Formats: sequence, structure tokens, C-alpha cells
Amino acid sequence: MKTKFSGILTLLLAFVVQLTFAQEKMISGTVSDESGLPLPGVNILVKGTTTGTQTDFDGKYSISAKSGDVLSFSYLGLKSKEVTVGASNTVNVTMEEDTAVLDEVVVTAFGIKREKRETTYQTQQVDEELLNQAQSTRAASALAGKVAGLQINVQSNGVNPNTQIILRGLRSIGQSNEALVVIDGSIANIGAFDDLNPNDIESLNVLKGATAAAIYGSDAANGALIVTTKKGKYGEAITVGVNTTLTFEDVAYMPDFQTEYGTGWQGAYDPIENTNWGPRFDGTIRQVGPTFADGTFQTLPYSPVKDNARDFFEKGLTTQNTVYFSGGNDTGSLYLSFGNQDTDGIIPSDKYKRTTLKANATQKLGKVELALNSSFFRDETNTVGNTLGSQDRTLYWFILNQSANIPISRYKDWRNDLYSSPDGYYNGYYQNPYYMVDTSRDTDKTNRLTGNFSASWDVLDWLNLTGRIGGNFFAGTGKEWRDAQTFTDEYTRPSPNTSFVRDSEFQRTDYTFDFLANANFNILQDLTLKTVLGASSRTFQYHESRVQGDNLSVPGLYDLSNAQSIQGGFASGAYANDLEERQYGYFADLTFGYKNWLFLNASGRYDFTSTLRPEDNSYFYPAIGLSAVLTDAFPGIKNNVLNYAKVTVSNSTVYNDLGAEDIIESFTAPLGFPFENTSGFGLQNGFIDANIKKEKINTTEFGLNLSFFSNRLTLDAAYYKTITTDNIVATTTPNSSGGNSYLTNIGELEGDGLELSLGATILKSEDFSWDMTINYSSSKTVVNKITDDLTEVALSTSGEFGVYAVVGQEFPTVQASAYYRDPNGNVVINPTTGNPISTTELSGDNPQSGLKNLGTTTPDYIIGLSSSINYKNFRLSTTFDYRTGHVYYAQGSDAMEFTGRSQESVSANRQDFVWPNSVIETSPGVFEPNTNIPVTDGRQDFWTDVYNEIKENYVRDATAVKLREVALSYNLPAKYLERTPIKKLSLGVVGRNLLTWLPKENRFSDPEFSNNAGPAGNAIGIGGYFQGPPTRTYGLNVNIEF
Amino acid sequence: MKKYLKYISIACTALFLASCSDSYLDVNEDTNSPTIAVLGPELVLPVGQYWSAEIHNRDRYTNTLGNMFMVNWSQADGYSWYNDEFLYNVTTSFYSQIWDRTYRDALKNYRVLQAYQGDTYSNYRAIGKIMESYHFQILVDIYGDIPYFEALGRGVNPTPSYDDAQAIYEDLVVQLDAAMEMIDNATESAIVPSDDDTMFHGDMETWKKFANTIKLRVLVRQSGEGSLNSSFAGMSTIGFITDDVTVDPGYAMAENQQSPFWNAYGRDSGGNIINNNNATCATPFALDFLEGNNDPRVDYIYEHPATGHLGVPQGIADYDIPVVDQYDPIRVSNIGPGLLKSATQPAVIFTAADSYFLQAEAIFKGYLPGDAQVAYENGITASFDYLGAPGATDYYTQALPNVGWNASSNKMRAIITQKWVALNGVDAIQSWFDYNRTGFPANLPVSLRASTPDRPVRLFYPSSELTANAANVPSQPNAFTVKIFWAN
Repeated sequence: MKTKFSGILTLLLAFVVQLTFAQEKMISGTVSDESGLPLPGVNILVKGTTTGTQTDFDGKYSISAKSGDVLSFSYLGLKSKEVTVGASNTVNVTMEEDTAVLDEVVVTAFGIKREKRETTYQTQQVDEELLNQAQSTRAASALAGKVAGLQINVQSNGVNPNTQIILRGLRSIGQSNEALVVIDGSIANIGAFDDLNPNDIESLNVLKGATAAAIYGSDAANGALIVTTKKGKYGEAITVGVNTTLTFEDVAYMPDFQTEYGTGWQGAYDPIENTNWGPRFDGTIRQVGPTFADGTFQTLPYSPVKDNARDFFEKGLTTQNTVYFSGGNDTGSLYLSFGNQDTDGIIPSDKYKRTTLKANATQKLGKVELALNSSFFRDETNTVGNTLGSQDRTLYWFILNQSANIPISRYKDWRNDLYSSPDGYYNGYYQNPYYMVDTSRDTDKTNRLTGNFSASWDVLDWLNLTGRIGGNFFAGTGKEWRDAQTFTDEYTRPSPNTSFVRDSEFQRTDYTFDFLANANFNILQDLTLKTVLGASSRTFQYHESRVQGDNLSVPGLYDLSNAQSIQGGFASGAYANDLEERQYGYFADLTFGYKNWLFLNASGRYDFTSTLRPEDNSYFYPAIGLSAVLTDAFPGIKNNVLNYAKVTVSNSTVYNDLGAEDIIESFTAPLGFPFENTSGFGLQNGFIDANIKKEKINTTEFGLNLSFFSNRLTLDAAYYKTITTDNIVATTTPNSSGGNSYLTNIGELEGDGLELSLGATILKSEDFSWDMTINYSSSKTVVNKITDDLTEVALSTSGEFGVYAVVGQEFPTVQASAYYRDPNGNVVINPTTGNPISTTELSGDNPQSGLKNLGTTTPDYIIGLSSSINYKNFRLSTTFDYRTGHVYYAQGSDAMEFTGRSQESVSANRQDFVWPNSVIETSPGVFEPNTNIPVTDGRQDFWTDVYNEIKENYVRDATAVKLREVALSYNLPAKYLERTPIKKLSLGVVGRNLLTWLPKENRFSDPEFSNNAGPAGNAIGIGGYFQGPPTRTYGLNVNIEF
Repeated sequence: MKKYLKYISIACTALFLASCSDSYLDVNEDTNSPTIAVLGPELVLPVGQYWSAEIHNRDRYTNTLGNMFMVNWSQADGYSWYNDEFLYNVTTSFYSQIWDRTYRDALKNYRVLQAYQGDTYSNYRAIGKIMESYHFQILVDIYGDIPYFEALGRGVNPTPSYDDAQAIYEDLVVQLDAAMEMIDNATESAIVPSDDDTMFHGDMETWKKFANTIKLRVLVRQSGEGSLNSSFAGMSTIGFITDDVTVDPGYAMAENQQSPFWNAYGRDSGGNIINNNNATCATPFALDFLEGNNDPRVDYIYEHPATGHLGVPQGIADYDIPVVDQYDPIRVSNIGPGLLKSATQPAVIFTAADSYFLQAEAIFKGYLPGDAQVAYENGITASFDYLGAPGATDYYTQALPNVGWNASSNKMRAIITQKWVALNGVDAIQSWFDYNRTGFPANLPVSLRASTPDRPVRLFYPSSELTANAANVPSQPNAFTVKIFWAN
């Protein structure tokens, strides 16, 4: 590295010196396109030097050069042009459209570069400008709405959010549906992608289907995100830049709470109740909380406190800074960056810090190019604990369990203020949330080093050999603790908290080795062949351990040595797990080209895995595709409107692998073991098919790419169909079988979908331009079969509601206990109680018995819209996304029912009422209207015990329109910067999730929130309780380059 | 070209030299958890027994269900803990944990013991059979027809069929006889369990008596059915358990290691009283019976509040009528010190009192030789002993019906009623079975919130069966009217 730095220093010096040489002169001029419009942002370089500049917004430039120097003008989408400097100090240039523009090079699997016309499958590129328009802290969440077929689920929104990346819907019940992430040519994972500083990303190419990724073998099933990080460029002027963003975060909305009734139980006022089953608010001054020993007590008006829950949350603040350096000479290039993020969350005391370092370097040694790409990441998370109080609840539960008449935010000072203290707080059942925040913490630190080293040798014009070693090392430690709390026994108080400290650590190591031989041949005059022969291997090692100590002796010392007992047992106390997985494979990829308009691609990989029995561990992954550029094949169809047309068709078969140790049945120590005198191991619950094999996915894709009006309007379309067979699923078995799941190959899933991506330059004039991209994607996966015996598989279920794969239904499906209804859809009531009957109460021979299918949890379609308006030096970017056709289970709303804060619970004024349009089943199948039998205990018990048991009530339309991103930026015109060392100065305001439109029936939470549940996190669609309220962010951004 | 091909092949070879060796993929081993290849039965047995104790004693398992249905327990003001119990809300999820955990945790691990072949392990296999019989009987008594002959087959039979309850009962006798025979015929090489047997510490004679007592329970329960006299032959000779059968792996006052009943209703591992303790309390019906018969056990089965014993009727709508806060936890009789002893109390799974009352009934009905009164009074004494209460003799010599043997005109009523008192808080589910069979104790009230005038006589097959074993699970009999075969 030392020599590298000194080299760059020399360059820097040369640059400075050049500026001062007398024979240099200032050349200036205007660059315009064929129609005469000025072109901003054209790169101009004095050939053979590192002197360079860009045109400003008026297409004007000035650069220092000598007579005889060659100026090179380049601009994406236009043919590069070279002009030799003569006597004149003015060089005006007109740049022509590059007809090959649509044949831009795309980076595909293993870093193989192909012209877009050659690819037989659909890809979509997101460049830096679009990705980082709103300065998201995470690249993944910044992709929402920007790629057709890509579904980004921001599953939680704490200081360290969790994002799921799904391409083309779900196609596997039990295995991962998340896209493969490849960073700079090496297989990485979504975690590594999340841990990149988004400002270090140059571009992202999305390979949407399995076909594109088939040569990756078992990692390929879900398509791939090919991430390219920023590199210095050969011969590029040195750039040093600073990018700073400051954003605020607010609660966007809370559930709609009822505000008519307050503290109490069964209709009676109770000063210490957590629930809102008291009398109607009347504004009188009442006792709140216990009567203290001296006879005093707290009083408050008995009236609702507006936004009492919302006011618990604070304004979050995030600062992000990136300092970067980019440059290169003829043989070497370097990109360095340092970034940090510092976040205060909306929950008091929640904090997050992260630091990223990036160093990418290349060096040419003759015909060999060496490249190093590396990222270091470190973060620290400090949030409120996850297991609060004696019931091990989440913080949100405590907030929902404070009555509507309690001004929660008044009780911050729990250490000094009597009414906020553990014994003095009003609530006899759930503690002050501010107390929780200070007495239970969850802290994590992680470090990640990701990188690869490659050597690429251009042996001959037509032959290149590339070897690449990649590594991804991820390790972390965690400590979670809770203080003990005992209470007075003079009056009702919550159960005491026991204290604990939990130490955990993990290490994950992934290595990849790739070797590729690229060879290009002209076989005949019109026939070309591009071949890749390769081999790759991958090793994954994982280790984690966790120890919990209970009942700390010295308060405030959170160390295992301070615990009075160490929890035993696999499930929760002292625990360690080690996994290792290896794979290797050989592959070939052949692309035949005929007259540069017809291409046939065939690839195959032979793959070996450690996860299966040795006698049955190898699989072949074939893919074949055809691409035809019709406008080149039949030039006659080209006209003023249509200028490019390409069609593709492809098919592939890939397999999902099992995980490490999946095929081993073992024994584990149950919770509590070992006891003092006794050790023990119990047989694991799940049992395994002795003949289990990989899961098979066949994909067929048709694609169409059209360009109109000299590329001002583009349409990319794809239709695909996938068939998944031999699904690797832990099927639910009856416990009477001696276990509750059976890992085996089952069923068939059939998916299809349509993707349309429409890009348009709506307006383009000297000062004003407006570009827009609309992405539409629909996807649908239907379960054709489970097994001969089973018609459904539960991914995650409480028994009363859950996410399932159900034959004949879309996958995944929410099932829940529902209203028993007559053929007209009227609710059937119990004639004795007047209460609606739950389908789970029905006897097994009633066809409605059990849980009911209530809809799928993945959208029928997603529309994303990105718009970018440029006016002079201003730029306004917005991204919307709209998802619909799906439902979610509003778990937070379920939780609110018990506490009497739901709007429903006041819909009948807390009286017994006749269920609207209800009927009575007088004899089986015979229904008569119920006009006079009211529900029982409508004051409270009806809501908490009957209504709350019919979980259909919490399955809600998940439709949402979100203004995901909006950003307004201003680039200071170059003329103001001429006399400064500053090359670029831009200022911007950014906002994320500023507006969300939800249907009226969903008044609870963000339907995108989802617990990470089920196999591979596939049980999407239950959320809103563990995540807390949705938020929006807004702030300022400054970018300076020197 | 040839030259380069050589380079390519060299590079390929170098890269995959390690990969291609046979052992490269040989990493799929579980280094954290044992498999059966390395695990002896002495490490499996205690896990089965641990689950037997949990299923009996945990919050909302068999004992809780019995205490609710048999009107031993109710709920203090300020809690909404027992709504489903008060509503008799028998659904596919109501107490389904009994079914699920019995099969999946207890029976599964007992069945593993059968995999240890040969004379060496005959004692473990015998214990496995005895414990399986113990659990299968309780499942039949709660659910009727259940998977039995094909149950626990795992990968061999993931969806077992259901068997007739009576046929299962018949086979339980066969299995228990077989287990007793295995104990008798154990060879020299047979390993005798030691402390890994957390119930009897390898005392195989006591195991035999326990098997014999379970058999007695099986036979007595169906004693309304035809002639059983021959089946009782030889049982008196083997003898029955005389001490409470308990599990104790070494319970400790530590998280997840407390004795399950204490953990469910007593204090947490930090020594703090838990919500369940405050929420759960006596009913007037149970208190009236105890206090009305001068039973000193009242202060052991229930906590004695400073303001005197007070029970809460099951399912009252308004706790504050006529007096506000009358039923606050501090004023009502919560579970007493004779039941909640300590974090380390051995966990009961079969009481000595039950053994004696079963004998009393069998003797009274003429199936077993002996003196029914002695067995009856031994049953009462065993209950006093378990609770640590003094004065058993003074109690049962009172000339009160259903207390003193001679003062009781209906001996069956006396036996079953006293069994109900003895099993209060310890093994009340057995009283529910007896109630369904005999109707005693008489005048047992139904919950005020009950939606039917009847008390459930069985539970619904759990949703886990309905969803995963739909082809086999029978249609659900009415939970309030269709009794288990032995109660007809």
C-alpha cells in the first residue's frame, strides 16, 4: 500500500504543477447533442494525463491543455469523441447518439460481463444516483419500488432494521426465498449487503430469475443481486469528497385507539388498572394509582390524554458521514472511503452506531489485472431489552397496557418522582415503560470483513483466465440484561422481575474460490462463440454460543460471575451450536452468436454438497436460452417510433440444497437440564425422511425489450413461470406420531408473474428534464399439492391464526379462526349467549370447522414509480410504491383487545347488543334471523373472550401506497466554484416514508412489518406487535467534492 | 493453445486438490448434540420422567384442569386467567397441550427406551412400558379413542390411526403384565438404573408395585364393565405403592429448574410470589366441605387469609358486588402451604392416597381381598401426610357422612368424595374421571358463566390432530354428553 499512496501523491503533485506551467492555456467550449441541446456532465479528459473536468448544466466546460493535446469527451449513451487542441481556445463539440447504447455491458454471474443483447433473461440495473437519492442508511430499503419483480420488505424499523429481499415472489415453502447477493463477483449474503455503506455502491444489477444465476448452483434459485462497489478509474482525476446527511425520525402513525373509556375493569373504575374497561370518561378528578401509607394518592382528570402512547416516543436523529477518495493512474486505481452513522432511535435511549471502511484497488501488471475489494464494518446496537417484566414481554406491550387517561410521558423520572416509581406508578399490573427502558437493555456489537482478491489474465485477445478468492467474516457479541425489581405488598403491584444477564457471541465465515476461463471465438464468418469454463467452491462455517445467568447478586453488575445460577439446557441457558457446509461445482457457459442478433446460451453446472448423504449428493443444473434482436434481424421494422426490439426465452432447472445437519436426528437437553443430580437428553421433535433430496425448481421466462423515439421510451417486459417440486418441508405431523414435524420432500408449487418496466424521458429541454420509470410486477404462487395425506402445512401458527401453505390457495396464506357464517355470509350466533360462534368451536363434521383461509400475504401486484425532475441545477426525485391484493395479521391490534383500547370495543357503547345481521341455526343447515338475542357481557368479557378469540377480526387488507423517497437537491453551478478547490457542492433535503395511505380497515400498523417467523423467515404477514409504530424520516444532505 | 490448456488444467487441479479428496464434503456432523449411537438409556429416561412431572404439575396441564372442573380452584379479583375454564370453552385448543406434550415429549422419550435391545437393557424397557401405560391411560380417560397401536412411529408412520378406547385399556393390562414379567425375569446382565431413575432410583420392586397400581387404576376405572374378577388375580400378592410417586431430578431454586407445581403457582426463581399465586384461589364449595367437616387440611390445601377463609364462586360476573374489592388476592384463600412446599419439592405424578382409595373401591366391590375401611382410612391418612396436616385419625373417626366410614351410608360416595378431597391440588384430574364415572362428589356446582348446564366429560381432539392427521382423527364426540366408555 505504501507505494500506492506515494504514487498517488506524485499524481497529485503533477496535477498541481501542471496547472502552473506557462505553455498551458485554458480551452473552453460547449458540448451539445445532435439536436443542439447542451449536455451537462460530459467527462472531458486530456488524453494521457489525469487532467479532467465535466461540463456544467449549460454544457459548458473549461480545461487547461496544450496545443496538440487530445481532448477526450465521453458521456454514457453517446459515442465518445476525441478532438485535438489546435490554435483556438474554443472547442465546441457535438456528440452523437451511440446506436449500441442498449448493448450496454451487464455484469452477470461470477462477474462475467456480457452485452445486454446477448443475455437471454431479464435484468434490471439500478445506478448509484437512483439508489442513494434519499440517503437511506441501508441499500436494501432504498431499492423498494425501483426494480420490477423485486419486493423489499422492511420488516421492522428499530435503529437496526431488518429487511427482506424477495425476487419474483415466494417459490419455496421451507427453504429461503431471498435473493442471492453477489458483491464484486463473490457470493456474499444479504447481511453483507446491508452492512455496506450505500454511498460505496456503484450499481446494482438484478438478475431476476434462476436462469441467470443457474451456474451458481444451489444458491441460484431466487435470482441474484449483483452489487458492484465503487472503484477508482484508470487515468481518472483524483476526487476527494464528503457526504453528510442529517435525518430526523418521527412516529408516522399509531393505531387508532378508542378514547371514550379509561382505567377500570368490568365497567367499574379502578385506579390501578392497566386496561380500559372502566366507565365512560366524564372529566371528573379521580384517584389514579394506589393509596400510599400516608393516605395520599395521585389524582388526574378522568378524560382521555391525546396521543398518550405516541408521546412516549421521541424524535430520532441520525447523522451519516462518508469521506471518500477516488483516483487512478494508467496502471492502478484506488477507491477509499470511511463512513459512520450515529442514530438515536424513537424509543428513549435506543442507540445505534456504525462505521464502514472500504478499500478497492486495482493494479495492472502487463496483461494481468489484480483487484482487491474490501469492506470493513462495525456496529453497536443498544436498545431496550426484549423480555421485559415478569412475563417477558416487549416494550410495546407495556405501552399498550397503560390506560387512555394516563399521560405516559409525564412519568419519565421514575427514580425520583413518587408517581413514576415502581411502587408509586399508577399501574398495578404493568410497570412504567420508562422504568423498563432504563432497567433492561440489549446490546450487540458486530464486525464484518468482506472482500475478495482476484487476478485476471488476458492471456490472448480471445482468452482470459480469472481466479478469485472471497471471504466474508462476520462476528459479534451480545449482552442482554434485566434488573430485578421487587414491590411493596401493601397493595396490588406487578409480579416482581427477576434479574438476568445473557452473554452471546457468534462467528460466521464464508469462503469462496472461483476459477474461470473466458474464451471468445469466431467460429465462422457470422458465428461467434463465447465460452466460460469454471469451477467454484464454497465453505460456510458457523459458531454461536450463549449463556444466561439468573438472579444477580450485586445490582447493576451485569456479569456472569455475578449470577446466582447459570441456566442450563439447550433451549435457553448455556448453548452452543456449530455448523459447517461445503459445496463445489464445475460449470460451463456457452453463448453462440449469429450475425450479432441471434444468441443461444447454454449453461450447466455439476454441483456437490456436504449436506446430503454421500451416495446422493451431486446434482446437475442446466439452463438454456435464446435472444434475438429483431431490429437488427429485420432492419425494416425500425422506424421513427421503434428503434430497438429484442425477445428472449429461457428455461432452467435449479435445486435448493438442505442446510447443514438437516438430515441428522439428534438428542438435546430440555430446558432446565442438567439438574444437580441428573443429566438428560431428549429426542428432537422433528424426524427426517431417510431418502430426502434437494428441492427442484424449473423456470421458464419470456422477455421483451423495446425502445421507442431514440430510446426516450423503453419497455422491458417479462413473463415467467416456475414449478417447484420436491419441496423440502418440515411437514406438521400429529404429535401422536412421536414428533411434530417430518422433514421430507413434498408437493408442487406453481408460480407465474408478469413484470413491466416502463422508462420515459417525458420532457427534455435546455433547463428542464423529467424522467420517469414505472415498474409493475405481479406474482402469484399456488400450491398444487402437499402430500396424499395433507392439504396444508403450517409455516408458523398459534393454533388460532398462522401462515400456511394450503392446497389450491395462493402461497403463503393466512388462516385464522373465523366467524361461523350461513350460506349468505351472515354471522351465526349461539342462541344461548347471543355471541358469534368461532369456526374453531364447531364440531369436526361441520365443513367450516377449524381455521379459515383469509387470503395471501404477498401482494398480487406491486407498482413502483420513480420520477426525477431536473430544472437548471435543481433535481427533485420521488419514489412511490403501491402494493395490493394481500392481507396481514395485525398482531398489535389483537393485543389491544384485551386492554380495551380498540375502536371495536366501543362500537356498541360497551353494552350488550344484537350482532348485526346475525342468524341462529335452528337445525343443521337451517338458519333464521336473530333479531333479539344480544351478546353476553358486552361490557367487557364479550370483547376480551369472544370477539378476541375470532382472529378473523385481525386479518386486514395490507394494501399500502407509500411515498418511499423524496429528495430535492441543488448543485451549486460550477461558475461559483471556479476560484475554489471545490469541484462539486450539492445540497439536498431528503425524506423517506413521509406519506403512507392505508385502507380504512387497517388502522393499526405498517402491513409490511412482519415477524421473522417460519422456516427461512417465509411466514410473512404477521406483524405490528414486536415492531412498534411505523416511522418516517426527513433531513438534509450535503455533498462536497474536491 | 496447448500450452494454455496446460495452465488451465494446472490451475483447476490446484484449486480443487483439496476439494476433490473424499473427505472434503465429510463435514455434516452434529458436534453439539448426541445421536442415539452414542447415547445410553440412562440419559433418556430422566427426560421422560421430567416430562411426566411437567405434564402433571405445570400451569394448565392435567392437575389444573382437574382443579377447575372439580371446583377446587377459582380466580381472585383483578385477573382474567381462567375465562375458558369458567366458560367450559372446550375447543380444539383448550388444554391441547396435554395431548401434545404427552405424546411429543413424555411418550416419545419413553418409546426411545424400547430401542435399547438385549437383556442388558430389559429394566429400562420395562420402565418405558410402565410409564407409557401410565400416560396412555390418562389420554384415553380425557379423549376416548386415541392413536395407540400405531402411535410414536415417527418416520415409519407419520399419521397413526386411532384405536378403540376399550381395546387400548385391554392392551394396557397386557403391557403392564409384560413389564412386571420383564422385571421378574431380568438377567444378571441387566443394568439396574440408579439415580438416573428420578422416581424410584432403580428400585425395581417398587416399579413392579407401581405397574400393579396403574393396572389397578385401569381395572377399577372400567369396573362397571362386565366381569373383571379374574383380571385382579394375584394383584394383592404383588402389592401396591404405599408412598407418593414423585419425580425429582434435583429441582432447585433456579430458573427452569424449579419443581413444576411450585414454579406454576408459587414463586419465581428469585423467590417472588408470582401472579398465578395471587390469581388462583379456593371456591366456596370446596371450603364449605372442608370446614363443614372440621377438616384440618383446609389450612394446608388453602392459604388462610388474616380475614378468614374465603372462596370465589367460579365464573362470577362482578367481583365487586356486594362489596368492592371483597375478592382481592389478599382476602381470598389462595393455594395453601401443604401443596406449595418449596422450589425443590418432588413432583407428584401418582399419590399414595389414590392407591389406597383405588384399593378401597376394589375391595368394596369384591375384586380384591381385604378390608375396605382400612384402605379408605389409609387413603385419608396418606393425604394428611402429604399435606403435613395433623389429626387424620380424629378426622376420619368423626361420625359424619362421607367422612367416617361407618357413618357413611353410601360407601362409594364416601370413597370417591374423600378421594376428591385428597387429590385437591395434587392430582385433581383423577377426581374428574371419577366424577364422570360416579357422579361424586354430589351437588358439584357448575360455573356461573357456563354456557350449558353440563360440565365437560371429555376434551376435544386438539387442532394438531385435526390439521395433521385429518384422515384418521374421528369426528369429535360432544364434549358434554358423550362419556368415555368406562363412564357409561
